[in-house]
Order: sequence, then structure tokens, then C-alpha cells
Amino acid sequence: MSNLAVLPIILPLVAAIILIFFNSKVHVSRALTKVFSLVGLGLTGYIMWEVINNGTIIMETGDWIAPYGIVLVVDSLAAVLVLTTNIIAVACAFYAPSAGLGEKEKYYFYPFFFFLISGVTGAFITGDLFNLFVFFEVLLMASYALIVLGGDKVQLRESLKYLLINLFSSMLFVTAIAFVYGALGTVNMAQIAQRVQEADQQGILTTVGILLFFVFATKAALFPLYYWLPKSYVVPNPVISALFGALLTKVGIYSIFRVFTLIFVHRVELTHEIFIWFAGLSMIFGIIGALSTSNIKLIVAYNIIPAIGFILLGIGVMNETAISGSVYYLIHDMVIKSALFLLVGVITYVAGTSDLKKMGGLIHTYPLLGWLLFISAFVLAGIPPFSGFIGKLLLLQGAFEGEHIMIILIGLLTSLLILYSVAKIFINAFWGDKDAMGQIKKKSTKGMVAPIVFLLSLSVIMGVGAEYFYPVADSIAAYLMDPQIYIDSVLKE
Amino acid sequence: MIFAVLIPLLVACFIPTISKAKSKIHTGIFTFFVPFFIFLYFIRFVGEDFTPIRQTYNWIPSLGINLDFYLDGLSLLFVLLISGIGSLVVLYSIFYLDKQERLGHFYVYLLLFMTAMFGVVLSDNVFVLYTFWELTSISSFLLIGYWHFKERSRYGALKSMLITIFGGLSMFGGFILLSVITNTTSIQAMISQADVILSSDYLPLILALILLGAFTKSAQFPFHIWLPDAMEAPTPVSAYLHSATMVKAGIFLIARFSPIFSGYEGFFITVSLVGIVTLCWGSYMAVRQTDLKAILAFSTISQLGMIMAMLGFGTTAAVFAAVFHILNHATFKGSLFMVAGIIDHETGTRDIRKLGGLFTLLPISATLALFGTFSMAGVPLPFLNGFYSKELFFDATLDLESASLLAELIPYLAVLGSIFTFVYSMYFFFGVFTGPKQLNQLPKKPHEAPFGMLVSPIILVLGVILIGLFPSMINAPFIQHAAEAVNSNAEYHKISFWHGWAYPPLIMSLIVVVLGLALFLTRKKWSGIYKVLPGKLSFNRVYNSLISKLDTYSAGITNSYMTGSLKLYMSLILVTMIVVTTSIMLFTNGFTFSASNLADITVIEVSVVIIMAVAAIATIFTKHNMAALLILGVVGYGVALLFVIYRAPDIALTQFVVETITVALFILCFYHLPKLRKTDDSGGSKLMNAVIAISFGAMMTLIGISAHSTNLFDVISDYFLETSYKLGGGDNVVNVILVDMRGLDTLFEIAVLGIAALAIFSLIKLKKNKEAE
Repeated sequence: MSNLAVLPIILPLVAAIILIFFNSKVHVSRALTKVFSLVGLGLTGYIMWEVINNGTIIMETGDWIAPYGIVLVVDSLAAVLVLTTNIIAVACAFYAPSAGLGEKEKYYFYPFFFFLISGVTGAFITGDLFNLFVFFEVLLMASYALIVLGGDKVQLRESLKYLLINLFSSMLFVTAIAFVYGALGTVNMAQIAQRVQEADQQGILTTVGILLFFVFATKAALFPLYYWLPKSYVVPNPVISALFGALLTKVGIYSIFRVFTLIFVHRVELTHEIFIWFAGLSMIFGIIGALSTSNIKLIVAYNIIPAIGFILLGIGVMNETAISGSVYYLIHDMVIKSALFLLVGVITYVAGTSDLKKMGGLIHTYPLLGWLLFISAFVLAGIPPFSGFIGKLLLLQGAFEGEHIMIILIGLLTSLLILYSVAKIFINAFWGDKDAMGQIKKKSTKGMVAPIVFLLSLSVIMGVGAEYFYPVADSIAAYLMDPQIYIDSVLKE
Repeated sequence: MIFAVLIPLLVACFIPTISKAKSKIHTGIFTFFVPFFIFLYFIRFVGEDFTPIRQTYNWIPSLGINLDFYLDGLSLLFVLLISGIGSLVVLYSIFYLDKQERLGHFYVYLLLFMTAMFGVVLSDNVFVLYTFWELTSISSFLLIGYWHFKERSRYGALKSMLITIFGGLSMFGGFILLSVITNTTSIQAMISQADVILSSDYLPLILALILLGAFTKSAQFPFHIWLPDAMEAPTPVSAYLHSATMVKAGIFLIARFSPIFSGYEGFFITVSLVGIVTLCWGSYMAVRQTDLKAILAFSTISQLGMIMAMLGFGTTAAVFAAVFHILNHATFKGSLFMVAGIIDHETGTRDIRKLGGLFTLLPISATLALFGTFSMAGVPLPFLNGFYSKELFFDATLDLESASLLAELIPYLAVLGSIFTFVYSMYFFFGVFTGPKQLNQLPKKPHEAPFGMLVSPIILVLGVILIGLFPSMINAPFIQHAAEAVNSNAEYHKISFWHGWAYPPLIMSLIVVVLGLALFLTRKKWSGIYKVLPGKLSFNRVYNSLISKLDTYSAGITNSYMTGSLKLYMSLILVTMIVVTTSIMLFTNGFTFSASNLADITVIEVSVVIIMAVAAIATIFTKHNMAALLILGVVGYGVALLFVIYRAPDIALTQFVVETITVALFILCFYHLPKLRKTDDSGGSKLMNAVIAISFGAMMTLIGISAHSTNLFDVISDYFLETSYKLGGGDNVVNVILVDMRGLDTLFEIAVLGIAALAIFSLIKLKKNKEAE
């Protein structure tokens, strides 16, 4: 029992509330945001250390014992995700002042930002299915607020679709929770897991599980439920896109992770086999989407979908190698996606357009941006020695151990096309004559590049220094493969 | 050995600074020492008593990814090629590239490539090998795109990258399969488990994946198409990467894995067939080219095919010949590329139709080209190394272990390919250096190249001659070790010039010379054949249409469903959910029904529910906003009534309040809302929508009934009833749950409302501000 578990949720909540009062003082808001995000990073770093050394941190809120009250469970998976979330929050906090938010900074951008972080962290930490729903609401409401901020027509149009589809999935979520409660009489995840196990996942339970899968799959933007994603991620400011791209879909895939490694693990040959199909289709259709456009923001947004496919693949294969690959890939993707969204944001800003056909020769004026993009392309495609490679290696090894040959081939081909989709940006936007775009005035990218370099170096370190990170992923996988550990640690039996 | 791999990389980090600081001195001069010292370091390993060396440095031991460097005869041959040719190419580039060029970039890429290439040939770890393999593709991409203001360069760079990385990923897939099957990541350890691999069900797949990697990298038919376009790179790069070293990585890979696969018939057939077809096709196509570098590119393709074929044969003689030819090819082709570069540099063109009669103007270059082309053609002269390897090749084709039809055909195909090799070699030499001068056609007035530029090709040609004069000199200390690494039975081979008239390979060589000469002289007469073959059949077309189709089809597919229509999105989402969820329900026999724990149903409940259902259906058919709104209100109040009936007055009250406020708010906004538009959906799509909606509703109902009927456990709410007062201090359980037991939920639900309020406020305010401006 430690109050440490609630701090990563409460800290951003408090930060958000404080920042509401400083809305008109932009400089104070900026400074406070940086401070709070750094404190959050320190805190979650400490929590990570604590979890690795002393095991899962559990907190029974209000001293209502499990399974009756809401339990917060910071296990190794939650800890690493919360830490990554805070790393991205820091990068975005430092990027935001130069992101050209303008008036939006005065209209509660920073509070919304922290509400979002609070919701995301809460979703990772909670051990209660209904509470998970509440945190989903928090992060969704914050994301609605961020996406409409500014109120341009195109923003409102795209956010309406985003809102309605997500509203539908929220309703489905509550309904599914009602079904779970109806069948099992509890909403505590550990107890649900225990009871599903006792009932041998008989009867309607698998169906309810699949319903939950669809709820999360909609948030995670899996094929064929991602229609809301590409355009709605493109319309807001890059820093908002980066937050969305890195965090929102990942909450969905995390939930699938949790529910299908902890609770519904007794009919794997049926449920998880379906996941492999969804994974493959997500890869194929996602990358087709990325190739279909010359809008660089859209290219990156579509690239979210195959990445989610890769992560789901590991859950589908469901052996230790593949799960550790999924964990690694998940963290990798959070980092590189936020870096890429920020990067295309800068490129769009300096080029004055996001249409690839109108760009060219930027490398003469912005060599650093060019090389950052160049490296990101290889990180994203999972080319060694970068972070994506380690995850992909484990995933494919795991898939072969499970004898899923087809998906290995799809995965490899998708990697090639991912590389192509981003290399296209490098070749068309950066290569070419010095004055391919006419005489462009060099714009200052001060403050925007450092966060990107920070995130990208993290990707490189996670690849080259995999020896330091892989054991963590591996221990998480071993832990996830044995749901009993989670159940026992929460229910203390 | 690690220093050989890493020093180029380290130096590369400093090159940009050096290049800027010492801009008066050509950056190439600093770079030159890197490959040169590495060459000096490794040359000392050459000797008869050489034994393989292994060095291991841990990198990611828990994944089995370690820097295991393994220097055997084969890697030594490649290391010396890479460092040796590397030194010569850098030396040459100092004179070839002007100081005005972005030299910093050029040498960084080049050093990056050296690191990558050393890594490929020295790694014993499959995944490290793969890492360096991709790095060679990347550095090659950058070098081909070095003059990226040219459209052709960008095209060539992308093409080479896509094809080679495609192969790289495929090879990576093969490595994954191998590593899982053998449970090791070391190539040598895999070789020792060859029987495990050969008896695996996945053998054909593994082989196919690895071969794809090798074939794409070594520009084998039909993946050769990237190599001619790679010629957009500066000539030193073409000489180095795209002739002497990188394109031989695929050859290296096959050679490396030969000990595992060579016993397998599929390996023989695929590799020999692809190799021999590449040999023929490449040499046939070379004759048609007009660009000097394009001739050399197709010639390289064809020569690589020849080496590949020999590795496919797998016999001791063939392997020996293959290894020998790797070295020979590097010498004569390297020198020819450099000569082509000189001609380009001194005349301003590489178009063979504009060139001619340059012998007197560039006598040294011409002499070098003479040796290079004649060696390449395999002219039987005792001072040309190309002749020896060709003769060994012919010899090998006659002595195959396989008895298949392919084995019968191979000698004929070998002669055919060699005839065209002879033709294009002559075409290259005589087309450039003899015949009428066309000086007015040339952009520059030609004269002999500066001495510095000639040094490197001279050294290479000296190699051609020395190996030609003393072909057995380097066998025992060098070639033999390399051959042994590929085929452990490889025996010491004494190469000699003369075997007597009745020696079949000699007869084959003579046929080649005679027919080749005839074809060369009558070249103009039969060149019409290219209109028939390849005619419009070109793999370039396939690639181009593949790329453009990729773009158009992906746009077509994506736009077909990403229409922006929410209705379509929802239908697709719902259909997916219905199909998958109901199938799962059927598969798992999910449906259960039990009435055991249901409350009594009375007339009141039934009538309330009927009213609600009627109201809900009526909303769909209402054409007026206000009416729809009020009818919808009926559903809400109906729910509230149900709460009353089931004795939950507080919840009923809440529901009443919410419902009233909602309706009131709607009425307030009513004025601003647009009129309900009639949907212009056809009857069919309306029916479709109805079917989807009803089936989804039915499905949810069935799941709901089943979930409710599944009563296996006690509910936790019993605990709430027990402890509400005892621990929570409140009689009203709902209140205790809200503020205490599940207070965290409530806190964050309040936060949600707060966010919503703020969001609306900022939306309105920000909009107003904008309008005010």
C-alpha cells in the first residue's frame, strides 16, 4: 500500500487546475507547464525504479479493500507506460511555446494538456474496469477540447466525427461493463480475471470479451475501426497531434493488452487468432492509407495504424517472445510517433504547406530537419540499430515460434512500405534544387528542434542500448504471461 | 577487428568538421588513410598457414545480438577488396571530385559504407550482419542521390533503396526463421547444425527468403534493374560500391551460407539458374547500351551472374573459380570504371556514339582499357587474369554433380553469355578509342588525365597482368583459404595457361572468340533484335508501373472508404462488430437464458416499455425537429419511470432532471438548429441501414440476456450494503458509493464536466475574438 500510485494521476490534475487560473499569463503558464512536466517525469522515473526493485505498487483508494473499492495498480507494464507518457509530455511541454498556438495558449491549452495526461496515466494505472471507463472519459473529453480549440470549420467538421464515433464506443464500453458485472458480479479487474478463470471462460464470457475488444479497438484505431483517426489527427496543431498520436491510440491498445493477457486468456485459440487477422489487416490497410496521400501530416497519421497492428500481433501470438516484442514496440512507437508528428509539424511550418508536391530542396536551408527525418524513417520502419528493430525482431521471432508464417511476411512487406512512405517525404521535400520552392525566407525553428532531437535520441538509445531496456520488456512479458501474479498481488490471496 | 569496422564510422563523425576547417585541402586526402591502413593491417594475414580468427564483443547478449567478428579466408578476401579498392577509389576521387562539391557529405557516406561493408563480411552474427547490410543500402542510397538536384539521381536512389531493402527485409525474415530453428544467431553455429536446417519443413521458405536478399543486392535477374540507374552516382562510387564491393555482398551471402544449403537440390537449381540467366541477359543487354557506365553496369550484372552461377554449382572446382573471379572481376572492372570516369571527366560525355578515336589523345587510358576489356572478354592471352577465371568457369560447367536438364544446358548458356561478354568488351574498347574522331561533338577538348587520376587504374591493371602472369602465385596463401570457407573440400588448384588443344574449356573459349568477333563486326546488322527482345518487355516497366500503381491503387482503395461520410463509417464499424461478435457467440455457445433471478413483470412495466419502444421508433419517422425532440423525451422519461417502479427514487429523480434539462436546452437552441433534412438515401440503402441497426440491437439484447442469465458468483454490491453504514457512515448506499467507495470515479467525472465547460467556453470565446478582429 503506497500513495505513490495515485501521484502520477493527481499531479497533472492539480497542475491543470492551477493552470486554469493563469490562463491569461502565457509566460507563467509556459513556465509552470515545463516545471510540472519535469516534476512528473522525475516522479514517474522514481516510480519505475521503485517498481523494478520492489515490485508492483498497489493502492486501495479510500482504504476500501480490494475487490470492493477502486484499486490502483502500478505494475511494471503500467509503470513503463506512465514513464513514457511523461517523457512525451515533457517534449510536448517544451515544444508547445514555439508551436504557434497563438491565442489558444490563453484559452486553456495547458490545462487541457494536463487533463489529458491525467486521464492517460489514470487509464494505465487503474485496476478497475469501471474506473478505466472514467479515465477514458477524462482523456476523451480533454481530447475533444484540444481538437476543437480554435474552432476552425475543418476542425469542427472532423472533430464531430471523432466525437460521435468515440461517443458510440464509450456507450458500448459502459454496456459491456454492465454485461461483465451482470455475469460476474464485479468490476475489479483482478477479480474479473479470477472469476473468468473459475468459470473457465464459459458461456457468454468470450463474447463479452470480444465486445470489450471492439471498444478498445475503436480507440486504438485498428482496422476496420479507425476511420475517425487520420483526418482528425491532422487538423489540430502539431503538438496536439503528437500527443494524440503518441498517447490516445496507445491507451486503447494498452487496454487490449491488459484485458487479453489478464482476463480473457482461456480461449486463446479463438480470440487471439482473430487478433492476428486484425493485426494483419491493420498493417495492410494502414500502410495503403499512408501511401495514398501527399499530405505529410496524413502520411504520419496513417502510419499509426500499421504500428498498432504490430503491437496487436504480439498479443495475438501470445507467447513470451512476442509479448515482449509488443511491449518494446509499444514504447518505441509512442516515442517515435510523437517525434514524427512534431517533426512534420516543423516541416509544414517552414515549408508553408503540408503538400509534398509543393515542396523540394529543403535540405539546403534546413539540413538538421532533413537528417532528423531521415533517421526517423529508419526508426519507424524498424531498421537496425534503432528501437523499432528490437521490437520487430522479437515480434517476428515470436510469430514464427507460434508458426504464423503469413503474418511474418505481411509484417516484413509492411516495414518496407513504411520506409517508402517516409522516405518519400525525405526525397521530395528535402532533396532537389536549392530554390525548388522559389526563394524561401529561412524561418526560425528555435525551441522546436530540441524536443524532437530528445525524442529521437531516445529511439536511438533504445535500439543501440537495447541491452539495458530489453530485460525490462522481457520481465514484463514473463509477468504478463502469468496472470496469477497480478490477481494475487491485488486480491492478496 | 572491431577497429576495422568502427574506425571509418568514427572518422566519418569528424569529416564534416575537418572538411570545413581545412577547406583548402581536399577532404579525400584525410579519408584515404582510413582504408589504406586497414588494408595494411589485414594484408599480413595472407599466408599459407592462416587460420580463422574470432573476436566477440557483447552488444545485446540477452537477444543473442553480439559483435562476433569472424575472419576466415572468405572474409579476408572481401576485407582486402573493400580496403584495397577503397583506398584506390578514394585516391582516384581526390582528382575526380572538385573541391567545390560538398566533399564533406561525400566522404561521410563513403566511410559509412566502408564500416557497413566491413561489418557485413566480418559478422558471424546474423542480426549484426543484417544491420550492416541495411547500412550498405542506406549509404548506397545517399551516394546515388549525391547529386540530388538531378531527377534521375533521386529516381535511381529510391529504386536501389526499395529493391535492396526489400531484399534485406526478406533476408532478415530468413534469419529469424533460421535463428528460431537452430536456436543460435551465429552463422558458424548454424553451419554446424546444417542437418537440422535441411530437415526443417521451412527449408524452401528460408532458402527463398535468404536468396531474395542475395539476388536483390547482387543485382540478379530480374532484380538487376536498380543497378543501371545507380550509375547516377559519381563514378568513384560506381567503381567501388556498384561494381567491386557492395553488389558482391549478395555473392558473399550465398558463399557464406553455401556450407548449409549446397547439398540441397533446390539451392543448386535456383542459384545456378538465376546466375546463368543473369549472365546471359546482362551481357546481351550491355551490347545495346550507349552510355559507357551503362555498358559497365550491365557488364557487372552479367559478371555477378557468372559468379553466382558458379556458387550455385557448388563443386570444388566451381567454388574455387568463383572466389578467384571475385578478385579478378574487381581488378578489371574497377579499372574500367575509372577509365570511364576519366573519359567522362576529360571529354564531358559518356555517350559512346559521340566518342571515338581517342587512342592517340588518351594513350595511357586507352592502354589501361585495352587490358581491362580484353581480360573481361576472356581473350586467351597469358597475361590476362580474366581468361583464367573464364576457363575455370567453363571447366566447372562441364563437371556438374547434378544430372538435371539444367545441368545439361548450362555449358551452352555459359558460352552464349560469354559471347556477348566478348562483344560488349570489344564494343567498349573499339567504340571509344578507335574509329573516326568526332571532336566537335564533345563538350570538352580531350587530353590525357592528370597522373593522379591514372594511378589507381594503373595499379588495378598491374593486378590484372600480375595475376595473369602468375595465376598460381596467390592460390595457396589466399584464394585457397577463401574457397575452403565456402566448400571445405576445396582442393589446391594449380592454374596453368596451357592444357593442350583438346582441352574442352579452351575450345569453348575459342568458340567465344570466333563467334564473338563475328557478332561484333556485324553488330549493326542484327541490332534490330533488341526491338523484339526485350522490346517492350522490360522489368523497368514492371518496377515503374508497380510504383505508380502503388500510389494510384492505394489512393483508390483508401478514398473508396475514407469518404468522410460518418454514416458509412458507422455502418462498416457496426457490420464488423456484428459479424465477429455473433460468430464468436455461436462458436462458444454463448447464448444462455434463465428466468430464475428475474423480478415479476407487471402490466405497468410492460406498458411503460411499449410506450418507450413506440416513441423510439417514432423518432425515426418524424420529419420535424421539435417533434422528434419531444418524442425522444418520452424515452428518457420512460427510463425514469422504470427507476421509480424499481424503487430507486434518487436515480429516477436524477434522470428526470437530466432529461428535462436536455429537452430545455434543445428548445433554447432550437432557433439556431438547421431544419431536419430529408435523407436522399435510396430505398436499398435505407433497408441496409435498418438491417444493420436491427441486427446490432438484437445482438446486444441477446448478449445482455445471456450476461444476466449467467449467475455464477456473488455480486460485490452485497458488501456495499453491509458496510455502507459500518465503514462509510452513511445510510444511503448510493451516496456512500459515490462519495466514498468509488470517490475517485466521482472526482474524475467532475473533472470531465469541468473540461467540457472550459472547452465550450474557450470555443465560444476564441471564435468571438476571431470574429471581432
